[in-house]
Amino acid sequence: TAAAPRPWRLFGAMCLLRLPRITQPLEKEEEEMAALMGQIELEKSHYSDHEIRKLEEEEQLRRRKESLYDDETTGKTVIMAQDLEDKWEQKLLGFKAAPRITDADKNNNRTSLNRRLDSNLMLLVKQKIGHQKLWLLPQAEWQPGETLRSTAERAMATFLGDHVQAKILGNAPSGVYKYKFPRAIRTEDNLGAKVFFFKAFLQSSDLSQAELKKDYLWVTKDELGDYLKPEYLKKVNGFLLD
Amino acid sequence: PQTVPFRGGHWQTSLLALGASLPVRAQPQKKKKKVDVKREQAQKDRMKKKIKKLEKAAPELIPIEDFITPVKYSDSNRVRSLPPLSFEETERRVLLMKKWSLFKQNQAQAEKKAIQTLVEAQQEALKELRLESEELYQAAIRRDEGLFPFERDGPDYTPPLPGYDPPEGKCVDITKVYTQ
Repeated sequence: TAAAPRPWRLFGAMCLLRLPRITQPLEKEEEEMAALMGQIELEKSHYSDHEIRKLEEEEQLRRRKESLYDDETTGKTVIMAQDLEDKWEQKLLGFKAAPRITDADKNNNRTSLNRRLDSNLMLLVKQKIGHQKLWLLPQAEWQPGETLRSTAERAMATFLGDHVQAKILGNAPSGVYKYKFPRAIRTEDNLGAKVFFFKAFLQSSDLSQAELKKDYLWVTKDELGDYLKPEYLKKVNGFLLD
Repeated sequence: PQTVPFRGGHWQTSLLALGASLPVRAQPQKKKKKVDVKREQAQKDRMKKKIKKLEKAAPELIPIEDFITPVKYSDSNRVRSLPPLSFEETERRVLLMKKWSLFKQNQAQAEKKAIQTLVEAQQEALKELRLESEELYQAAIRRDEGLFPFERDGPDYTPPLPGYDPPEGKCVDITKVYTQ
């Protein structure tokens, strides 16, 4: 006997994470500890070849100044260790690294992927549910014949196009959000919906060909509260690591 | 009258075999072959025994270069001369270590709790899925072959500089390779 059809509609949603590109700033204890470790390492170490060379040359200079004799040995110019250090210092100052706080950070441009490089960003899109347009993780309705994972992939492809590479973490869903339809629409065999969330890491860094729709955002976990409904937010926070 | 080719009896078949058929070399045969064989066999056995002895000896261990301090680093002039630590400094260090251990303990607890929440959320999702359809559930708990090996470049201190041209250089590998 065939099982009775369940009254719940199934949706697969994709939580696409852009992983951090730079390290998070250190906490105060971590900074203090790092300084202490450096000090201890210095105390326990011996002199290196470069340091010994520097000490000897300083000795020579001092002796030369004190005894005031002419350069008996050298007509040639000797490169001192100090000169080498100065040269290296200059070279370091000449190099300018990319800034950790980007322009997108300053403008708070939430559609850009270059914002908040030290934390996870996830994709939110505006979708029509019933009569309302809500901010959600991209979701699509499950169709018979496909697994939920492929539903989630289809949802991602609808909003970002086919060329996006994402590594989905396994076949199993990471979380679920169950809700009943409002009384007006609810029927015997259409009670509500279950949305299964799948987590994925964004691999391709260049999304210029994608982003077909206008209403999308990349937000961090703490900014999710600005956009998602409370119950939905609670379930989503359940499977997100900060 | 012309000379006729000599034919000395029925044992000689032709002129060319004249020298071979007559017993010209009449020395007694030396027992060379058997003794030679024995001597060669004995030599071979001795060589084999030597080879076995060499093979049985344990293979020489490859020295680990990291564990052997080169002699030049144990010179006395290498020792750093720093002023001894003051009392306040040692106190500060001890207190900092205690704070650090507490900090790390809290961090580890928080991590464990976070992982626990993750696992619970997934279990709930799988339970709901099972209630829905057994087939989808079975598809979900199947192992994902393409997931591992998973590689990712870790985060750096600054983001990559667009259009940066790193300076050219040559790398010469001078590691010593030992054979056993």
